[in-house]
Amino acid sequence: MEKKQTKKWLQSTAITLAAALLLAGCGTDQGQGTSSAQAVSAGSASELTYALATSPDSLDAGASGFAVSHRVFRNIFDSLVSQQKDGTFQPWLATGWKKSEDGKTYTFTLRQDVTFQDGTKFNAEAVKANFDHIYSGGRGQSIALLGPFQSAEVVDEYTIKIILSKPFEPLLSGLSSGFLGISSPKAIQEFGDQYGKHPVGTGPFKFVKWSENDEIVLEKNPDYKWGPPTAENKGPSHLDKLIFKIIPEEATRIGSVQSGQGLAAETVPPQLISALQNDEKLKVDQSITNGTAFSLYFNTKNEPWNDVKARKAVHLAIDVDTIVNTLYLGTYQRAWSPLTPGMLGYDVTLENKLAPDVAKANQYLDELGWKKGADGIREKDGKKLIIRYLEPSPNREKRNDIAAIVQQQLKQIGVQVNLTITKDTNTPISKGEYDIFGNSQVKADPDILTNLLRSDRMFTKGGTNWAQLSDPNIDKLLEQGSSESDPEKRKAIYTKIQQYMIENAIALPIYVFPYTVAHSKSVEGLKFDLLGYPQFYDVQIRN
Amino acid sequence: MTGTIATRLLTAALVVIGSSMLVFVIMYVLPGDPVLQMLDGNATSPEAIEQVRKQLGLDQPFYVQFLQYFLHLLQGDFGISRIDSSPVLAKILEHVPATLALTLVSATVSILVGTILGVLSAIHRNGFIDMLARFVGLFGISMPTFWTGILLLLLFSIQLGLLPIAGSTGWKSLVLPGITLGLVGAGLIVRMVRNTMLEVISEPYIVTLRAKGLAEQAVMYRHALRNALIPALTVIGVMIGELLSGTVVVETVFARQGIGRILADAIMAKDLPVVQGVVFFTAIIYVLVNFLVDISYSFVDPRIRRSQ
Repeated sequence: MEKKQTKKWLQSTAITLAAALLLAGCGTDQGQGTSSAQAVSAGSASELTYALATSPDSLDAGASGFAVSHRVFRNIFDSLVSQQKDGTFQPWLATGWKKSEDGKTYTFTLRQDVTFQDGTKFNAEAVKANFDHIYSGGRGQSIALLGPFQSAEVVDEYTIKIILSKPFEPLLSGLSSGFLGISSPKAIQEFGDQYGKHPVGTGPFKFVKWSENDEIVLEKNPDYKWGPPTAENKGPSHLDKLIFKIIPEEATRIGSVQSGQGLAAETVPPQLISALQNDEKLKVDQSITNGTAFSLYFNTKNEPWNDVKARKAVHLAIDVDTIVNTLYLGTYQRAWSPLTPGMLGYDVTLENKLAPDVAKANQYLDELGWKKGADGIREKDGKKLIIRYLEPSPNREKRNDIAAIVQQQLKQIGVQVNLTITKDTNTPISKGEYDIFGNSQVKADPDILTNLLRSDRMFTKGGTNWAQLSDPNIDKLLEQGSSESDPEKRKAIYTKIQQYMIENAIALPIYVFPYTVAHSKSVEGLKFDLLGYPQFYDVQIRN
Repeated sequence: MTGTIATRLLTAALVVIGSSMLVFVIMYVLPGDPVLQMLDGNATSPEAIEQVRKQLGLDQPFYVQFLQYFLHLLQGDFGISRIDSSPVLAKILEHVPATLALTLVSATVSILVGTILGVLSAIHRNGFIDMLARFVGLFGISMPTFWTGILLLLLFSIQLGLLPIAGSTGWKSLVLPGITLGLVGAGLIVRMVRNTMLEVISEPYIVTLRAKGLAEQAVMYRHALRNALIPALTVIGVMIGELLSGTVVVETVFARQGIGRILADAIMAKDLPVVQGVVFFTAIIYVLVNFLVDISYSFVDPRIRRSQ
């Protein structure tokens, strides 16, 4: 009985195993299927799959504030002008422009051979419709980029006038950005508040579909021949299709390139950069982004941090070099100024100026009357010395880890850091319930500081004045900076502002963000614009 | 039987309404102001903030808000997402198929692997197969899906290049996420089936059947397994619920579409209409599955059928 039973079970086990093998056989089949599919995609050489770390919120250029949206819609929309790496401007959809004597009126002449992807004609009416669209429901960055914009006037079919209420030097820089890319007025009208899901522009790629959280598919605009002067390509794109896959999980995203299932992936984690550089099939590109470095902004309104001495003590106690080296393993550059090094007016003299000095930090706090209690935390009048450190979630670029290290470092001088990591940072910011907030922004003009520092740009008024600064002197400097047309004078103004920010411990710069892309070596011609965003118009895929 | 079904449907409705209400309460009391979050600092004045609050009906007392929400729901109006102002129903319908497919595949993996290993394990008690099955069971229960998912990706997608690494198109994209999530349920079922099989095998009626000379396989599969399956069915019902919640992680790791992922995003952003919509849908699925499980008892166990 026992023996027979064993035999029977052996038999059934054998059957199970055979079934398993069969299944595994299917598996191999399947594998061949995939690899031949790969060969096909590599052979047709005209489809680029690019893995994004986060999803755009909207593809309406006038309504999004996200860098990731810009990466996608830049391919759909063209701009009036093109900003070069040296900061100067060249024609794009506009063939030329004239600034009035008082600096308040810009007259653009437009190209006459451009059509939108839906067949509508590109002309002055279309440009005006875009500005009206931005002003009626504009969210995101577009309104800020237009500064003191007052109105747009159609002079004739291919001439448009932009009228400002005061001189605004950063206007051209704004107009060159994808956030002021030109949409088809017909599409804006047709799709209404769903336009962000059905964008139509004049760019090298047409929008095909967007499956939320999965992929955004664009295809070549065959009629395209009005590319920016920075591009080598003069005709339609070399790529037939451009597919953006949304893959939030880092290992999966990078794995898609390593396995050859995708051709490129953005935001390579620092610990993987050197490993990928050694992979002979792959290449890692790094591009420094322009705008503000990731910096910790001090809320200068709340006690006791409204005292510059208290803020300075904190600055002296934070060892930025250690933070940057520990977390980014030498792949990120340490920041010295709130502005990034590629920016007009970046103050080189700030480099290596700030060094940690715990003794001095302690001395400052002693002088302010904060005495260490039994638990090592300083106290004054029965109150503990606490910093409320606010950080957005998820842990983008290890920013939450920065907060954790700062927490440890400040403990040494007897400051308790209460860390709040949340996706909803708007509520505490609106209510002023924070002492430190970390942030970085992207823009190619130093006027970015206006939104960060001017007294009328508090968060509740649509600005990003995290420091809650209201200093008439700074307001005046920012005003001069935005209206001054002599580049040398502009530089001097922004130097002053940067120095003020460091000397008064308004912001502590931490790192300059490098936008990193890992891509197959078969992808050639991938370039980055002034903002550090990828450009796909010149890309070719070679075997 | 009809009576049972009527009672069941009534309980089902109560469960759906109850869970909607619970979520409404939780989202209501959670810290953070949805209006401030929506405006993203674009409000020009406190009056403007109040204006938006009024538009969304958020100035109304709690019970009015809930009633209004529920009345709209009954009319098939799930509202508009506060993040991207797309209709919630369309959003859910776009994501539901991917999640259902994933849940179905993982449930199949769980049930197949779980039952087969559970039975083999009981029959070969303390042998090699038993050890192996128990290891798989323990692995399934204790490994975070996040971890299992990445391990499988490393091996099958990156090293061997057999399966797609991400996305939600084609049946191949379901294999790894299905196994990842399925292993959790398999772990539960292996243990359940093994234990009940062991109990059943030592029951006197099995001894009788063997004594009568019935073939061992018939004893095991026709009689023992059938009785061992009843408790396992209950586990399967509960498991489907777990699978639905497990999709949040698995959908993120494998970059799949799905209601789990939009739910997580919506909770973070306090996008109440989306959270409500997804919970409503999930509750319906959950209730449906449990209903099916209850019905299937009577097919496995004739006593239940007769008593009804």
